[in-house]
Amino acid sequence: MKNKYIFGGIIIAVFLVLMGYLFTQSNIEYVDDFNKVMSTEKSVKATGSWVKEKNYQIDNQNKTFSFMMSDHNGNQMKVIYEGSIPNNFESATSVVVTGKYQNGYFHAKDILTKCPSKYEEQTANSSL
Amino acid sequence: MIGSIILTLALAFSIISMIMYFLNYRGYKNTLNYGRIAYHGMAVLVISASVYLWYAILTHQYQYNYIYSYSNNDLRNLGVFQLASSFWGGQEGSFMLWLLMTAIVGVILQSYTSKRGDLEPRVMAVFTLATSFLLVMVSPWFKNPFEYIWVHPVFVKIEHINSQFFNLPFIQQFFFTDQSTNQGFIQVNKELAGLLSQAGVSLNDFITDGRGLNPQLLNFWMQIHPPILFAGFSMATVPFAFAIAAMMKNDYKDWVRQAFPWMLAGMGVLGLGIMLGGYWAYEMLGWGGYWAWDPVENSSLIPWLVGVAAIHTLLVQKRSQAQGGIGKYAKTNLLLSVMTYVFVLYSTFLTRSGVLGDASVHSFVDPGMIVYLFLVLFIGTFTLLGLGMIAFRWKTLNENIRDDESILSRELALFTAMIVLIASAIIVLAGTSAPLFGTSVDTAFYNEMHLPLAIIIMFLNGISLLIKWQRSDLNELIKKSTYSAAGAVLFTIMLVIFGGVREIMIIILSLTTSFALFVNLDIAIKIVKGNLKMLGAYVAHIGIALFILGVIGSAVYSKEVTVDLVKGKPASAFGYEMTFTGYNLIANNTKYAFNINVKKGNSQYNIAPIMYRSDFNNSIVREPAILTLLTKDIYFAPLGYDEGGQSQTQHSHNHISLEKGGSTEFEGAKITFTKFNLGAETMQAMSEGKDFQMGAVLEIEKDGKKVEIELLRKQTSGKVEFTSFESKEMNLKIELENLSAGNIDLALTPLDGSETENASVQTTTAEILSVSASIKPFVNLVWAGVAIMVIGFFIAMTRRLKESKIIS
Repeated sequence: MKNKYIFGGIIIAVFLVLMGYLFTQSNIEYVDDFNKVMSTEKSVKATGSWVKEKNYQIDNQNKTFSFMMSDHNGNQMKVIYEGSIPNNFESATSVVVTGKYQNGYFHAKDILTKCPSKYEEQTANSSL
Repeated sequence: MIGSIILTLALAFSIISMIMYFLNYRGYKNTLNYGRIAYHGMAVLVISASVYLWYAILTHQYQYNYIYSYSNNDLRNLGVFQLASSFWGGQEGSFMLWLLMTAIVGVILQSYTSKRGDLEPRVMAVFTLATSFLLVMVSPWFKNPFEYIWVHPVFVKIEHINSQFFNLPFIQQFFFTDQSTNQGFIQVNKELAGLLSQAGVSLNDFITDGRGLNPQLLNFWMQIHPPILFAGFSMATVPFAFAIAAMMKNDYKDWVRQAFPWMLAGMGVLGLGIMLGGYWAYEMLGWGGYWAWDPVENSSLIPWLVGVAAIHTLLVQKRSQAQGGIGKYAKTNLLLSVMTYVFVLYSTFLTRSGVLGDASVHSFVDPGMIVYLFLVLFIGTFTLLGLGMIAFRWKTLNENIRDDESILSRELALFTAMIVLIASAIIVLAGTSAPLFGTSVDTAFYNEMHLPLAIIIMFLNGISLLIKWQRSDLNELIKKSTYSAAGAVLFTIMLVIFGGVREIMIIILSLTTSFALFVNLDIAIKIVKGNLKMLGAYVAHIGIALFILGVIGSAVYSKEVTVDLVKGKPASAFGYEMTFTGYNLIANNTKYAFNINVKKGNSQYNIAPIMYRSDFNNSIVREPAILTLLTKDIYFAPLGYDEGGQSQTQHSHNHISLEKGGSTEFEGAKITFTKFNLGAETMQAMSEGKDFQMGAVLEIEKDGKKVEIELLRKQTSGKVEFTSFESKEMNLKIELENLSAGNIDLALTPLDGSETENASVQTTTAEILSVSASIKPFVNLVWAGVAIMVIGFFIAMTRRLKESKIIS
C-alpha cells in the first residue's frame, strides 16, 4: 500500500511541476487590443477582423499571404502569414492570428478564421 | 409538430421510467415492470423521432429550420447516405444522434442488468436520468431539430424560394439583399408564415431548397465518424451508472466485474471514433496531419484517457477481490468511472457552449445563454451526484487488504499505468481549458509533455506483462525480458543508423516502444498456441506500440516542401519527380482536379489534389491528394493556382451606410433613405439569374428644398453597376456603392472637392500550381495501430462478458 503512494505521489508531483513550468513557457494570451499587441515582445493570439476594403495580397515569390487587420477600436496592423490563404478566409467574420509583432508587421504562425454561423447571421440581420 | 410531440412524450416516459425504477429500488416491488415499459416506450419514441427526422430530410421538408440549415436537394446526388448524414450536420441533430445512441445502449443495458441479480432498478434509475437530460436538450425549449423555420426569423436565399409565389402581394416587405454576395433573401418569420397560411400556401411548397452542408463534411468519414463517436459517448454513461448503483447498495463486490465489459467496449468504440476523426482531418482538411490538439479533438480524448486508466485499476480490483473484501483501488475505480462520463459531459460543454469561440476551428457557436446554463446544470448534476456519493460512502469504502505486494508486482505496475494515463488526461485537460481563463497553450506544450509520458507508458506496457501478480523474482524477470530487450536494442540501433533518428528522447521512446512491442508479440504468439480468449490485452498493447512507432515516423520525421509546379516542367522533391500536367473539371464541372504525375525510377503514379469555389461559404476549398505507399505517404496539399494575368482595383471615398428609414447630414444636406423600390418581376429575374435592377429611394433636404431621387443597382449579364446623383445647386454627388440586407452604402462627395481613385494594377504570371508536398514515413502504422488496439479491446470484452455472468 505504501508503494502505491510513493510511486503515484512522485509521478504526479514531477508532472505537475513540469506541466506548470511548460504551461507558463508556452502559454499564449488572447489580446483584442492591437496597441497591446504592438507593444509586447511575447507571442500572442490577436483577435480582430480583416479590413475588407484594403483587400489581401498573395506573394507567390515569398509564399506569404498578407492583409490588414483591425481590432474593435479600429486600430489596424498589417499581418503577414507564411503560407497560403486559409480556407474560408473571404467569408470570415473574425480572425485570430497567433504570432509576434516585429518590425512593423504582425508575423503570424497560425491563422484561425471564424465563419459567419447560421445563428450569428440570423441575429445580425434580424437586428437591422 | 409531430416530431416535437414525440420527443416531449419520450421525455415524459423517461422521467416516469426513472421514478418507477427508483421506487423499485426503494422497495416498491410492483413498479419494476412500469419502469421497464416506460423505458422501452421512451426508446421506441426516440427511435421514431429519429426515423421521422430522417424521413423529413429525405423528403426535403424545409419547413424545419434544421433541415433548411443543414441539408439541400443536391446532397441526394451524392447518394442517400450522404443526404441522411445531414441528420448530424448541426448541433440539434448531433444531440439527437447522441440521444438515439444512448436510448439504444439503454435497451441493451436493461436486458444485461435484468439478468444480473437486483442490479436493474439502480442502474436504470441513473441511466434514465441521463436520457432525461438529453431529452430536455432536444425538447422544444432548447435544441429541437423539429423547430419550424419561422420560429426564429431566417433569411432564405431567393433561389430557394418557389418563384411562382413572387406575385403574392405581401412578399415584397420580406425581401432583403446582402452586400458582398449580391444575394437576395426572403426573411421567413412568424408574420410571413401567417400570411402564407392565410393565402393557402404551405411552407414546404414555398421553400424548395436548403443551405446544405459545409463541403468539408461531404465525404464517407462524415457518415461514420459521428455515429461511432456518439456511440462511445453513450456507452461511457454505463460505467457511471454501475458505479452509482454500487454506492446506492453500498456493495462493491459485483459492480467491477459487471461494468468491466462495458468499459472495454465503450473505450474501444470511443477510441475508434476519435481515430476516424483524425483520419478525416488527414484526408480532407489538407493541413497534413491527423491530430492538431484542437479543443474538439482533445475534449473527446480526455474521457478516453480516463476510461482507459480505469480499465487498468478495475483489473487489479477484480483480481484482488479473490482474497475477500471489496478489492484494491475501490475508491479510485469509483472515481474514475464517474469522471469518465463527467468528462464526456465537460467535452460537450466545451464544444457546444460557445466558450471556446476563438480557440477552435470547429467548435459550435454560441447557442445562447439558456442552453449554456442548461449544459452547466447537466454537468453539475452528474458531477455532484458522482462525487457526492463517493464522499457519502467514503468511510465504508475500506479495502481491508493485506499489503503484501512488492515493488515488482503487476498491481503496482498497473496502478502506475493508471497514474501516467491520468497525468496525460490532466495535461490535455489543462491545455484545453486554458481558453476559459483567457489564455491558451501552444501545441508544443502537449507534445513536450507527452514525450516523457509516452516513454513511461511504453516501458510499463512491456514490463507489466512480465511481472507477476503479488511479487516476482528479479532474476526471473531479467531472464524473461532478455530476448525482447535485446530485440528492442537492435531495432533502435537500426533506427539510429538507417533511419537517421538522432534526438535522445526519440531514441529512448523508440527503445521502450519496441521493447513493449516485442514483449507483447512474444506473449501473444504463445497465447495463439494456447488459450485465445486471453489475447485481448496483448493485442491492444501491440496496437498502441505500433501506433507510437507510426507517430514517431509520421510526426517527428515528416518532411515538407512547398513546390511551384510550372505546367509541363518537372520539379523534384524527396527524390521524386513531379510534373503538373494540367487540370480537368470533375463532379459535374464544379471542381478542378489538378493532375500531377509522380515518378521515381520505374514507378509512376498519377494523383490529383482538388480545388473549387464553394457556394456554401463562398470560399475556395482545397482537398489534398495522398499517395499511399507501403512505408510512407506522400501528401500533396494544393496551395494555389495561377493561370495568368491578374488585376486589382481599389477605391477610396467618403463612405456612409444607411439603414432603411435612417438619415445622415452631409455638408448641410439631410439625406434620408426612405425605401427600396423593387417588384415581383425583380425577384423573379433574380431567382432565374436574369438581369434585373433594384432601386433605393432617397430624400434630400437642403436649404429648405426637398427632392426625392432614386439610385439604381443594375445587373446586366452578371455585371453589377450602380447609378449616381449629382446636383450643382446642392454641391453634392451621391454614388450608390452597395445595396444590401436592409441598408445601403453611399459615397458622398462635395462637387468642388476632389475625388481619388487608384488606377488598376496589372500583373502577369505563368501557369503555376503551388503545392505543399510532404512525406509521412510509416503513417500507415498510426491507422493500423489504432485498429489493432480496438480489436484488442473487443477481444478483452468478450472474455470479461463471460466472467460478468457469475453471481457471487
